[in-house]
Amino acid sequence: MLETFLQALLEVLRWNASSFMLIGVVVGFWVGLLPGIGGATTLALMLPFVYRMAPVQAFAFLLGMHSVVSTTGEITSILFGIPGEATTVATILDGHAMAKKGQAGRALGASLTSSLIGAIVGAAALALAIPIVRPLVLMFGSPEFFMLSIVGIAFIASLSGRGPRGMVRGFLTGCLGLLLAAVGQDPQVGVQRYTLQQLYLWNGLDLVPVLVGFFAIPEIIDLAVRGTAIAADAPLGRLSQVRDGVIDAFRHIWLVIRCSLIGTYIGIIPGVGGGVAQWIAYAHAVQSAKTPAERDGFGKGDVRGVLGPGAAVNSKEGGALIPTIAFGVPGSSAMAILLGGFFVVGLVPGPDMLTKHLDVTMSMVWTIVVANIITVVASFVFLNRLARLTNIRGALLIPFLALLTFLGAYTSNNSLNDIIVALVFGGLGYLMVRYRWPRAPLVLGLVLGEVAERYLWISVARYGSAWLARPIVVLLILLVIGVIGSSLRQQGTLPKRQGAVGAT
Amino acid sequence: MRAFVVAVALCLVASPFFTGPVAGQQPLFAGKTVTIIVGYNPGGGYDLVARLIARYLPKYLPGNPAVVVQNMPGANSIIAANHVYTVAKPDGLTIGAFNRNLILGQLVKAPGIRFDMTKFAWVGSPASETTVLTIRNDLPYRAATDLLKADPAVIVGATGPGASTYDFPLLLKALAKFNLRIISGYPSSADIMLAVERKEVDGRAGSYSSTKPFIDRGLVRSIVRGRASVPDIAQLPMDEDLVPDARSKAVMRLRSSPEIIGRPFVAPPGTPEEYIRAYWDAFTKVAQDKEFLVDADKAGFEINYVRGDQALQISRDVLGAAPDIVKVFTQFFSFN
Repeated sequence: MLETFLQALLEVLRWNASSFMLIGVVVGFWVGLLPGIGGATTLALMLPFVYRMAPVQAFAFLLGMHSVVSTTGEITSILFGIPGEATTVATILDGHAMAKKGQAGRALGASLTSSLIGAIVGAAALALAIPIVRPLVLMFGSPEFFMLSIVGIAFIASLSGRGPRGMVRGFLTGCLGLLLAAVGQDPQVGVQRYTLQQLYLWNGLDLVPVLVGFFAIPEIIDLAVRGTAIAADAPLGRLSQVRDGVIDAFRHIWLVIRCSLIGTYIGIIPGVGGGVAQWIAYAHAVQSAKTPAERDGFGKGDVRGVLGPGAAVNSKEGGALIPTIAFGVPGSSAMAILLGGFFVVGLVPGPDMLTKHLDVTMSMVWTIVVANIITVVASFVFLNRLARLTNIRGALLIPFLALLTFLGAYTSNNSLNDIIVALVFGGLGYLMVRYRWPRAPLVLGLVLGEVAERYLWISVARYGSAWLARPIVVLLILLVIGVIGSSLRQQGTLPKRQGAVGAT
Repeated sequence: MRAFVVAVALCLVASPFFTGPVAGQQPLFAGKTVTIIVGYNPGGGYDLVARLIARYLPKYLPGNPAVVVQNMPGANSIIAANHVYTVAKPDGLTIGAFNRNLILGQLVKAPGIRFDMTKFAWVGSPASETTVLTIRNDLPYRAATDLLKADPAVIVGATGPGASTYDFPLLLKALAKFNLRIISGYPSSADIMLAVERKEVDGRAGSYSSTKPFIDRGLVRSIVRGRASVPDIAQLPMDEDLVPDARSKAVMRLRSSPEIIGRPFVAPPGTPEEYIRAYWDAFTKVAQDKEFLVDADKAGFEINYVRGDQALQISRDVLGAAPDIVKVFTQFFSFN
């Protein structure tokens, strides 16, 4: 197996495969930077090109492209507060706050380094998981998926503000997020919920316009109101800042690795979706705060808030490949399209990929690693220039940012309604920032609400109430209690009993 | 130098006037762009078929136009169909690729539909879609009739109403009295297969092409198929053969009619006949192109071109079903 592993590296580095990968990386680089147009869509558009390629080349091209999208998406999130990808929203909270403090270089350095570490951990997990992947994936059924989404929702506790008032606000916005997740036809009997007689809402709220509006528009308004550059009066970024960011990543190396593992694991579970990993990782980073003062620093530019999501978002791809390869069941929407690529190049995902076609599987591991190394090194070359964008006068940037924001929202359905959704959530986001309501719980509720509902329904329909007694479900229930407990303990000032009432 | 620039500019400005009179003798599509509007996001089956067709169509349309694919997702392609019906110009340069079940949606009067499927100018359907019910290989049931007395009930995973994963087993359960338990709500067919693998459910109905890899590796075996078929599974019993009465047969046939025109392509009502005939001709040739067939096979499509006039006839037959049949059908089917 080790031999195949090394041979696969040589295979990926052969000129024809590596040149396809370079093309992929260049495409992915831009797709990541531009808001709205996402990795999955681009994969779909590129799929027709692989009909005549050999498997290793095809995956070098497709995966090379896809695995760098999140890495560069974070650059946009940090610099402008506009999510470059739907998967890089959590980075905005602290990354953009750092940019406003004149630390864009440091945030970028930290984000790129953690992205690289995350990608390597994810790829390593893919390689190591190969012998045990089948039992690993089959262990989790619908009841376990439901409980995992509840674990995710429980993290709302640590994404809320401090004190009873902060907690209540966090839970209220979380509930709003869950309600918003209910918009559209319900997945079981097809009843239309909150669709306001609009065909556009049949399939639910599209995440991209919601997130782009919710995060980018408040930043643009803020920039206009302040009338300064993004980094206000902070001194011009220096080269040493980027180095500081890299050092930060290694200073918090265990946090980065833990978040990478979280990302990998969420990636493995089909149907939970890529948008979730970043928020769980962010919440986990918040939990690492040791004092209430440290806790308050999150959202105002703590580098750990950049490191956590950065690592998780990139490690998740390696994880998502695991069920795709071993079962032909995609771990994310991008993987669903990659699955099409398998058939096009004449491969059938399934047990064969772990034996007969092990070389192709291994080449995927290497593609993820090599593509990320290339991207991160290339980004470092431009980093200081990019960081200087935060010193440009706001009035010059605003038209450009507004254009990017609305184009980004519009690309999701090519519908004017996308713009309306972005504007509505932009207004809501602005009010929430202005009156200090936390935005993260709403997003967590929105991305997890559908998963939770779907799998609760299936669990009850299939097992009645017996699902509650499944061993992993019991473990996860304990984990939920642990997550809420530790958030409450961290709140410090909050009396425990009152918090527990809020949590139910 | 300056004179040269002016001369070039003049030529550019004047060029439309020079090409004007010649256009009459030019092939129908020369210098034009055909847009295929797909009712789904990039990446799904409808999108893949459209993109594959878009690659081969220019070769066979007179004048070799550029063909581009535009995605207009939402409401299971009702939005795109409304657009092509009411907004798009009938100039022969726009065609739509929609959900095959729109015709059933129109039959049961789903909300939001502003088109009449029989008034579109039909290009036809390049591929059909075979539905097959498969169950896990380790179950003792081999023939379709074994499922009548299955004990306990065979659990079938489904995505939701309006999809073949749900409607096909539902009719088998209700009309053919199969002992099935349908658990719906899975996000996609692939997720159901994973549930089959971990024994959360026992089987799945769905398109044969997407199930084939799992049949080949011995996870599931096929039991019953719908009316549309491919040679591989032609020997399987058809759902209509398993019900005794004519009404049940008609209801099942109604469900499977759209699968024969599995990937419908239509143009706006009023599109000139000459364009439609050019499309019929081009689609016929694409469906015989050797390279196209290789690519389509890789992507798992059952290429079987049903020409526009025949597709329209099938649609008319569906909408002309007897009221009592439609009444029964409406009890089981909801367009989603």
